[in-house]
Amino acid sequence: MNRKRLCLVGCIVLGLIGAAAAAAPVKIGICKIVEHPALDAVERGVIDALAEAGFVADRDVVYLLASAQGDPNNAVPIAQSFRSQEVGVVVAISTPMALAAAEVFRGTETPIVFSAVTDPVAVGLVESAGDPSGNGNVTGVSDLIDVAGDLALLKELSPGIHRIGIVYNPGEANSDRLTRLALDAAPGLGLTVVTAIADSTANVPMAAQSLVGRVDAFYVTTDNTVVSAIDAVVAAAENAGVPFLMADPTSLEFGPVLATGFDYYRHGRITGAVVADVLSGRRPDAIPVTYQSGAEIHVNLDAAGKIGLTVPTAILERASGLFVGGRAWSPAQGN
Amino acid sequence: MTAILLHAAEQGLVYGIAALGVFITYRVLAFPDLTVDGSFVTGAAVASSLLVSSGLDPVSVMAIAFAAGAAAGLITGILHTQLGIKDLLAGVLTMIMLYSINLRIMGRPNISLLRVETITRAIGRAAPWLGDAAVLVFLAATAILVKLLLDLFFRTEIGLALRATGDNEGMITAHGVNPKTMKVAGLALSNGLVALSGGLVAHYSGFADVGMGLGTIVTGLAAVIIGGSLIRSRRIGWMTASVLVGSLIYRTAVMLALRYGYVVGFQASDLKLVTSLLVVAALVVPAIRGRVMRRVDTCSS
Repeated sequence: MNRKRLCLVGCIVLGLIGAAAAAAPVKIGICKIVEHPALDAVERGVIDALAEAGFVADRDVVYLLASAQGDPNNAVPIAQSFRSQEVGVVVAISTPMALAAAEVFRGTETPIVFSAVTDPVAVGLVESAGDPSGNGNVTGVSDLIDVAGDLALLKELSPGIHRIGIVYNPGEANSDRLTRLALDAAPGLGLTVVTAIADSTANVPMAAQSLVGRVDAFYVTTDNTVVSAIDAVVAAAENAGVPFLMADPTSLEFGPVLATGFDYYRHGRITGAVVADVLSGRRPDAIPVTYQSGAEIHVNLDAAGKIGLTVPTAILERASGLFVGGRAWSPAQGN
Repeated sequence: MTAILLHAAEQGLVYGIAALGVFITYRVLAFPDLTVDGSFVTGAAVASSLLVSSGLDPVSVMAIAFAAGAAAGLITGILHTQLGIKDLLAGVLTMIMLYSINLRIMGRPNISLLRVETITRAIGRAAPWLGDAAVLVFLAATAILVKLLLDLFFRTEIGLALRATGDNEGMITAHGVNPKTMKVAGLALSNGLVALSGGLVAHYSGFADVGMGLGTIVTGLAAVIIGGSLIRSRRIGWMTASVLVGSLIYRTAVMLALRYGYVVGFQASDLKLVTSLLVVAALVVPAIRGRVMRRVDTCSS
């Protein structure tokens, strides 16, 4: 009995050593703060972009995927487990993961590529976005959106819009930053921003309803909490009979009149390109922080019809996607 | 493997201080206090924002974090004893208030400590001969010091009155001690420790996040209960030691789930499941072994 058990343990140990010896490919640790459509899309984008850049999974690279499952206390242990597995590159999706990875890999040569971080300079991840020479082993891709542009677009949609209601979670670093940008930009555009706070998905309906009658339009940035309960904001906007702009084009079909920004799958692909750069030997302190450009405009004509709104032709002409008659149309596809 | 166990021990000790706080309310006072989910962040918020903005040294910053947590406990205590709000609700109310207060203290949801001298970094610099173990030695010394001070406190007259309050409120009143005062004091001490733990965790992690308090009560209770079922003793020194042991087991489970979970085919999304299963194993294996031993004894006799 004991000998049998000893054999079994021996086999497992040998198996582990064997696996370690064969691990010639570079280990890439990808971690995210929570399972979420946008963050999952970033993860897929990174892997797809690397595959297309010629890094074959299990031959050239091995992926270690981790999620903190919504608990920031898991961020440091995840980074430590990556370090003990001697990963070649860390891809840290979201601000807390990036901060934890930067702390755990401080003073090492292991490159850290962050993704879906709104303001890497303000949170102290890097010293400078443009001049990477002082950034050590950290570089990455920022998902800062053009908040002022979105507000201007709402004004263009209907000149009667003066008060903009933003539902957001002040506990999310990214969302907090974008809401501040909106508050700063509004006076210059002759707009007032009214905010309603939802600290959890369950509180989004109440926060959205609290704005009904007090605002001429709804605006939601890349706020993970609010995006998860987007139906509640759509319902409140319809209830108030006002348009709703959402800085997430993948949510267009769920009912906002306008959706801007970029999709997170593309964000992941851009991140993947940076990782490919790093894998080819470029040092992180030679790669400036990438800001994703080329925000798109998507229009949901069904939603506009529901509140009796006519979308100006000037906006329709710039739209890269339409949702009408219950399905999405893309001019690029020639439909 | 060594590095992983080293890190698990660091976390077990630093979160163990919060578990000692939970131990005071849950085990000693028999008061289910949910304030801790907020006061843990309060400690992190105070210890980070003060370090970044005030130029105070890391040790004073931790002392202020403790005081801020104690103030939070005081509020729950007053809500419960003076305003007659039920214990569970009093804690919940303070916890919800603290969410806004913590955001005010921090000024934003996330403070990075990557570019300042944190307490863990200061230790590493002050004791370079300890190498990789410097942080562990520091956290072990802190956790054990807190444990010993608690043991001493529970032997003083006030400490004994506090323990008696949880056991039998009527008896303590008959002895001329006001149980309300004892509850408020216990809640303040408990939340002070939780906040100290939060402050240390922030410095250890390199950032404070307003969401990091979520589940402090759950992991604290897990540590108290795991430790209590492994070390069954009514002596206060053993009880506080068991809390630290429970916390070490819990954090080791998290670490092993993260590091080796994939070997047995678990995915990233299975983290919490694997963690809980490992804790179940830690609880059940000693019990089964005990039963088997007893059976072996009966057979051989």
